[in-house]
Amino acid sequence: MRPDLLPAEPGTSSPDSHRARVVLRGPRIGEVMWQTLRLQRRALLLWAVGLTGMVALYGSLWPSLRDQASVTELMDQLPEVVRSLLAVSDMSTPVGYVQAELLGLTGPLLVILFAVLSGSNGVAGEEDRRSLDLLLADPVSRTRVVLERMAAMVVGIAVLVAAIGLALVAAGVLAGLDLPVARVGAAMLHLGLLGSVFGALAAAVGAATGRPAVARAVPAVVAVLAYLVDGLAPLVGWLEPLRGLSPFAQYSDHVPLVNGVSVSGVSIAVGTVAALAAAAALTFRRRDVAG
Amino acid sequence: MTGAGTAAVVECAGLTKRFGRTVALCDVDLVVGPGEVVGYLGPNGAGKTTTLRILMGFVRPTAGSARVLGRDAWREAARVHRDVGHLSGEPALHDRLTGREHVRATARLRGQDDLRRAMQIAGRLDLDLDRPARALSKGNRQKLAVVLAFMSDPLLLVLDEPTSGFDPLVQQEFQAMLAEHTAAGGSALLSSHVLGEVQRTADRIAVLRAGRLVAVEEMDVLRARSLHRVRASFADPVAASDFAGVLGLRDLVVTAETLTCSAPAAALDALVGRLAGHRLLDLECTEADLEETFLAFYGSEQPDAA
Repeated sequence: MRPDLLPAEPGTSSPDSHRARVVLRGPRIGEVMWQTLRLQRRALLLWAVGLTGMVALYGSLWPSLRDQASVTELMDQLPEVVRSLLAVSDMSTPVGYVQAELLGLTGPLLVILFAVLSGSNGVAGEEDRRSLDLLLADPVSRTRVVLERMAAMVVGIAVLVAAIGLALVAAGVLAGLDLPVARVGAAMLHLGLLGSVFGALAAAVGAATGRPAVARAVPAVVAVLAYLVDGLAPLVGWLEPLRGLSPFAQYSDHVPLVNGVSVSGVSIAVGTVAALAAAAALTFRRRDVAG
Repeated sequence: MTGAGTAAVVECAGLTKRFGRTVALCDVDLVVGPGEVVGYLGPNGAGKTTTLRILMGFVRPTAGSARVLGRDAWREAARVHRDVGHLSGEPALHDRLTGREHVRATARLRGQDDLRRAMQIAGRLDLDLDRPARALSKGNRQKLAVVLAFMSDPLLLVLDEPTSGFDPLVQQEFQAMLAEHTAAGGSALLSSHVLGEVQRTADRIAVLRAGRLVAVEEMDVLRARSLHRVRASFADPVAASDFAGVLGLRDLVVTAETLTCSAPAAALDALVGRLAGHRLLDLECTEADLEETFLAFYGSEQPDAA
């Protein structure tokens, strides 16, 4: 960080008998967030590399799949339930291919996985490992700890979707997987928000309970249910009214790769994250921290 | 410097904590004054850590109040922490970060620019700050946690079993640091389950049993009461009457050629005088563990011996 802050040799200053009391200001805004990201940087880098590799793999398959009508036919033959769940589209266009292969299931699954791990780690994971004491013993309010850790999670997610987005654009150049760059940006924004919603849920459950296993299980179950509601609503009448509640509906019902940003989708997701962040802060402030 | 015009650095009144149906702390009154070191003693599970965590604002009291430097430990925790250094009972560190990175991160969280003090303490404890925490031994991890607690020269140190895992030389250095801390006006509350660990540094001892404060004593008083287990074997037969009348002896058992008893420090001189009248084959004198001293003087049926 800043080696200039440190003297070259430990103990070079003489121990003075009446040393001046250090006046502590507490951390700067964002300090907890940066330190959290620093602790995560290795994991974040591995995730970014892995996701980039995955996109590269999809990109490299594109030239050989593009011209095979059989793939589209194969998809057409899938049961309607599966087609509805995967939001199968025309696989012979770059947009349809990326939508089906990357944005339909794999991308959301991996981004949500990262988000939930990161969100549950923020408070509950560190509390479980007891390293949270190090932070809480400093002049930082619990509200700041929660909010800055959640901010770190959102930044991490942003890094990952940026990596995916850049890899997609690169695949367009290298493998002819031509996608409109602005639409890729919109899709990545929605993907990042989708992850943030479930990550924020993990963070909130973790902040309220201090138990990392619960903080992971709850959003995992909710995500599966939300995915099924969104995917099956077109086929199951009574699910239709629930569909709008699913974060997956805000994520993909308007197909951002085709239609760009959905203002309502973004607003609902941002609102959900904000509400979960408030709940996380309020519950964490009120409870005992395990020691 | 302190808040609402109170001299006490730590002030617990009627402090009670229940976890569900378990009563962890019951009606604890405890005061630590400026420049004072209070040793907080009790067997494991007595509620020492709970008390310290309440003072740090990690745990909310069920009833009663805990104030640090005049501020409520729970509601104003972040503000309180500007003046408090804390050492966890089982300090957890970030495995990948080196000692130096821990020091820097902590300094930034506290808004402390000057790291010379931290480097100086690490030097005194002979701690290598360039190794990652996962490569440190238990004792070295403890040293790093001590550096983090002391590095801001706080007004109050809240230390949970600070010297566990230290070898005697490091314990000595630690005690010297604590003495300097109080000489500069700082206070400390340190918990331990071993009297020997705190007896050189503490001015007063507070004894906790099953969540209740059973005694608060000046160190000198308790030291005189601390029991020693004495075991002697003799070359020639001895009689029980040879050892009668030594004040304070407990559990005296004399057989033909051996003697065992528990003796407070104050009785040792008289006892050794009597022993010297016989030809000794062997003599053992060990300080009994604190639990035994507690049981002897603050027996479980005496919730309010203080």
